[in-house]
Amino acid sequence: MTQAAPGTAPHLLLDRLEKRFGTTLAVQALSLSVGRGELLGLLGPSGCGKTTTLRMIGGLMPASGGRIVVAGRDVTALPPHRRDMGIVFQNYALFPHMTVAQNLSFGLEMRKVPAAERAARVQKALEMVRLGAFAARRPRELSGGQQQRVALARALVIEPSILLLDEPLSNLDANLREEMRNEIRDIQQRLGITAVFVTHDQAEALAICDRIAVMRGGVLEQLGTPYEIYERPASEFVAGFVGRANRMAAVREASGAVQLGPLRLQGSGEAAPGPVTVMIRPHRIALCDAVPEGEGWNGATGRVARSTFIGDLLSLEVEIGGASLLVEQHTFAGRAMPRPGEAATLRWRAEDTLVFPRSAAA
Amino acid sequence: MIRSGPGRLFFTVLVALLFLFLLGPVLLVFPLSFAADSVITWPPSGFSVKWYLALLGQPDLALALRNSLVLAAIVTGLALVVALPAAVAIGRGQFAGRDALMTLISMPLLLPTIVLGLALLILFVGQGLIGSWTGLVLAHLLVTVPYALRVLVTALGTLPASVEEAASSLGAPALSVFFRITLPLMAPGLIAAAAIVFLVSFDEVVITLFIVGPKLTTLPVALFHYVESRTDPLVAAVSVLMVLFSLGLVAVLERAVGLRRAVGGKGG
Ligand SMILES: Nc1ncnc2c1ncn2[C@@H]1O[C@H](COP(=O)(O)OP(=O)(O)OP(=O)(O)O)[C@@H](O)[C@H]1O
Ligand SMILES: [Mg+2]
Repeated sequence: MTQAAPGTAPHLLLDRLEKRFGTTLAVQALSLSVGRGELLGLLGPSGCGKTTTLRMIGGLMPASGGRIVVAGRDVTALPPHRRDMGIVFQNYALFPHMTVAQNLSFGLEMRKVPAAERAARVQKALEMVRLGAFAARRPRELSGGQQQRVALARALVIEPSILLLDEPLSNLDANLREEMRNEIRDIQQRLGITAVFVTHDQAEALAICDRIAVMRGGVLEQLGTPYEIYERPASEFVAGFVGRANRMAAVREASGAVQLGPLRLQGSGEAAPGPVTVMIRPHRIALCDAVPEGEGWNGATGRVARSTFIGDLLSLEVEIGGASLLVEQHTFAGRAMPRPGEAATLRWRAEDTLVFPRSAAA
Repeated sequence: MIRSGPGRLFFTVLVALLFLFLLGPVLLVFPLSFAADSVITWPPSGFSVKWYLALLGQPDLALALRNSLVLAAIVTGLALVVALPAAVAIGRGQFAGRDALMTLISMPLLLPTIVLGLALLILFVGQGLIGSWTGLVLAHLLVTVPYALRVLVTALGTLPASVEEAASSLGAPALSVFFRITLPLMAPGLIAAAAIVFLVSFDEVVITLFIVGPKLTTLPVALFHYVESRTDPLVAAVSVLMVLFSLGLVAVLERAVGLRRAVGGKGG
């Protein structure tokens, strides 16, 4: 993984960045840094300010406050054409009146690259996205995936200092999306380019980003590696947004134990004694023969309310003392299928029992 | 949708009648222009091309036609020069009162032209602009710029701003973005605006009536005066030529850009 090595200055730094539209704060006090060669994901629900943040970084929208620093230089006041950033737009924004080659060549012309070198670089960039044979086509003569690759090549051929991508895959169908996200990641790593990738798709962010910034309502909720975001979510919101989780109201006692209805659980997390929310990911709960005893494990017995076979997954709804737990198990040939009404014994780890202070929202 | 049965028949007849009502008078001038009579009568007693030949012996009308063409050409050029920057400012700029400005500039379209004509007469008399090229050009600009602006703002509106943003992120300063991206993509709108301005100017009669002088007149005004004193089919012949000219221009426009796309429909 390429990350900012300790001690080296970050390549891109956002310092208390802020954007106001009238009275609404679309982005507030956003501070984060991106290391050289790092792929940072901006993840969050619709309207949380991802696009606004990216547009401010690219200079397409003025910031209302704060600073944007690239390689130690304050670029906050620079217009987009002097920021040296490649942007891939959600709708690709290719130039419809130019051929694919002319689209790529445009940025090089603006940089006064000599014609011969231009042609060579355009061809090389097209081959990098496997479109070498499409140079003479017009954008409208390409499929969505091909247009997407042209947009990527056009942003990369100028060898920008930073690559910005705003939901570049959202117009593609599911299969192509997965293929293209890996392609983007490959190219990004091969070129060692610093990139910010906006998405609202948590799987996409987890799959390709070095680190993920989870945003909510214009505020940075958590910044961490995909592992940290998924396994040690900083808030109930992050736990619910990244991956799926059972969510239950409980009470934490002074001892640290969590009382969930009749169940007494060991949980992880710093939440203070008082009302809390307990979150457990469905696939971290296992069916077993007996409630486990001892440190590190939680267990419960309950009744199967619903049992669904989904090929690779067995999905169960189990009633335990008033609460209903979603449980997911991988299937294998010969696995017994619990039926509704049958008793089920469950177990899961204390680390997988995430405890958060109870919040009104989310 | 009405697909079959008497409803459909009724619909077809209705549309046919509507077209007849709209185009009837125009269609009527075609046979009239070939009439052999010396005053306009219906039906004509015989057919000939003598009124077309008579046109050749009308130096006044020929001069008026030349004036009209020159005027329309000048007005077209100037209207675009004025309307293009205004359209960019209104379509792309972010300033308070954008909508108000658009309404203000569109105003001449909504005012009765007779009122505009009178106002211009009052304004121009003191400046010695009556009967002058400058006066005619200014008056026609007043009428045509709103049309040009409408068409150009529509053309800009269908152009996604992200294409221009992409260009500037690729290193293009504002002027390069405009000339390399915005302007070429607006070409259909520009052609449409030019054609519409040309036709409106070529056709304008109400306001022009107030501005023309004894030495400088336009074809529509000359025709207007001609029919005041004479009622021979010569005007029908001129009308036919004007209709054909207008249709030709529209056909060229449709060929070049697709009229519907140019004036802002979906299509394309
Ligand atoms: N030009 C604007 N004027 C006013 N408000 C705006 C403008 N652009 C964005 N906003 C508001 O700012 C907030 C953040 O918008 P933004 O487009 O950054 O969200 P996003 O995270 O990209 O969402 P999505 O996933 O839907 O693209 C939203 O509440 C939005 O309504
Ligand atoms: Mg967005």
